[in-house]
Amino acid sequence: MSAKKRTIVRFFVDTQVNHWHAAGMKILVCIKQISSRDIGICDAHALEEAVRLKEKFTDLTNDPAEVDVITTAPPESAEIFKRAFGVGADRGYHIVTGDERYASPFKTASILAAAAEKNAYNLILTGIMSQDFMSGQTGPMLAELLDFPCITGVVKTRLSNRHHSMEVEQEMENGFCNYLKINLPAVLTVQAGINTPRYPTLSNMLAAEKKEIITIKEANLFAQKNEVPEAREIFVSMEEPEKTRTGRKLEGSLNNKVNLLLTVLQEKGMI
Amino acid sequence: MNGIVVIAELFLNDIQPVTYELIEAALRIKKIKNRGQIKIIVPSENPLPLAEKLSEKCNAADIAALKINNLKCYDSEMYKPYLAEFIRSINPTHILVAHTSQGRDFAPGLALRLNASSIAGVNGIRADDKGFLYSKPVRGNTKNMIVRAAADLPAFLTVMPGVFTPENCNRPGRGEVTIHETVFHNTHHRKNRIQSDKIIKKNHEHKSIKEAKIIISAGKGVGNREKLDSVFKFASCFSSSFVGASRPLVDMGWIGHEHQIGITGTTVLPELYIACGISGSSQHLAGMKDSKFVISINSNPDAHIFNHSDICIVEDADQFITAFLKKVGHNNNLKGKL
Repeated sequence: MSAKKRTIVRFFVDTQVNHWHAAGMKILVCIKQISSRDIGICDAHALEEAVRLKEKFTDLTNDPAEVDVITTAPPESAEIFKRAFGVGADRGYHIVTGDERYASPFKTASILAAAAEKNAYNLILTGIMSQDFMSGQTGPMLAELLDFPCITGVVKTRLSNRHHSMEVEQEMENGFCNYLKINLPAVLTVQAGINTPRYPTLSNMLAAEKKEIITIKEANLFAQKNEVPEAREIFVSMEEPEKTRTGRKLEGSLNNKVNLLLTVLQEKGMI
Repeated sequence: MNGIVVIAELFLNDIQPVTYELIEAALRIKKIKNRGQIKIIVPSENPLPLAEKLSEKCNAADIAALKINNLKCYDSEMYKPYLAEFIRSINPTHILVAHTSQGRDFAPGLALRLNASSIAGVNGIRADDKGFLYSKPVRGNTKNMIVRAAADLPAFLTVMPGVFTPENCNRPGRGEVTIHETVFHNTHHRKNRIQSDKIIKKNHEHKSIKEAKIIISAGKGVGNREKLDSVFKFASCFSSSFVGASRPLVDMGWIGHEHQIGITGTTVLPELYIACGISGSSQHLAGMKDSKFVISINSNPDAHIFNHSDICIVEDADQFITAFLKKVGHNNNLKGKL
């Protein structure tokens, strides 16, 4: 464990850098590819929120705002940047990794942190969880590595205080909502329902051709080979989920199933 | 490394019931391999009353009342540094936190500070000859992924609510309860970058949702907003019924939040629950799994909801409902006539 501890210390150095840009706002959105073209649902909401914040920021201040997107993925995954550019992202970072069956959130967050710390972002957004592994850890771990504050499960954002801070609503259980204020730079993970993602526009799609995708090999982000983070969980297998009920399957034609259901409901006196 | 740490879930200055599920999961770990005591941490400005309340209900573990000045309610900026410092002094094999909005908020950062292997949404714990195995849902709950912690790292688990039913945490004569009071004098940890203005109940459940004996719920699989009408007609075939909905429908604005069933909506216990076009996310299941009888209609034979249903109907929900309404000769005056 001591060797691993050493790598971490580097991340915790509190640099006290003033991340605030005198003019302008830089937003980074961490996205994950789900199918050959699509990004994860919650990541799509995060991207939409970033583009909306960029538009609002420019409206309010007349200062420029930029949205970068970043993904860690195997080489053939550059397709999703087209979609991101189509909805208004300005620049893409593709960190090329191996095609692993399981991505440890710690490893992904470490790679994202190494890439993100080169640019002084005011705000980093990502989905509350990925669609495949559903862990929801990469965002908050990235915040920890960059020493940014972090709020997860955000359902509303508002720029305030000339954008050195933001007001957000965090969804909790049973209809409760936490109204929070967070200093920038910060990481927010976004819950579905925060917005309705727009469709790519033709003008954006045309402009997408000119936008820049910066491709960086994972290993090149780290000066020393021993700094390359290692997965902290070991994949063993995939299993079918457990059944909690007997699950009688109704067979036959559609009408047959309707009749069977009616019989069940009548036997139980429910109809 | 020895011992298991449980971080109690506190909300509105009260112990949340999910804490007892965490203790149950800790007992499971201890039963598989006994490597020291279970310690429950209660972090608060005034933790003693809460720790005492916990000790009355649970005698299977030590309770550490962690007194942290100015910690009035959950605050990730304070939780992470203070808990890291305290847990490091214990050096446990396992750290257990609830997989709730709060747990998910601070656990990944705390796990990182502790250099732990972090596994989110754990719904099963077992072991083979090489050690502990943890199961967690992936791909929209259609599969469970089995992972183990990398060698020599403590395992930091966020535990899915509703999985480890508390059965063993309050048996007479088991374990001893001692209350530790730890006072941190230094406040240098606090960065104060996040301030909570207020926590309020924004969305209220519908009055009749808790009373309804029969709940007919609609999910994205019903197709579109217009087709939601037939779900309402379907519901009107039953007396004392209520129309529920899964989260995506509420997010898309098809139906109000007061209809939402699930962790972020309402938890229900009807006699009959009919899920129409609902795939069965863990957040939805947690809100309806204790229904007496569950019927599911979904066009996808692999939909996760079928694993938790008494009757499984593999059909397009809208087509099935249309056929059902036709069969029973549905009209607006039907209610109660069947």
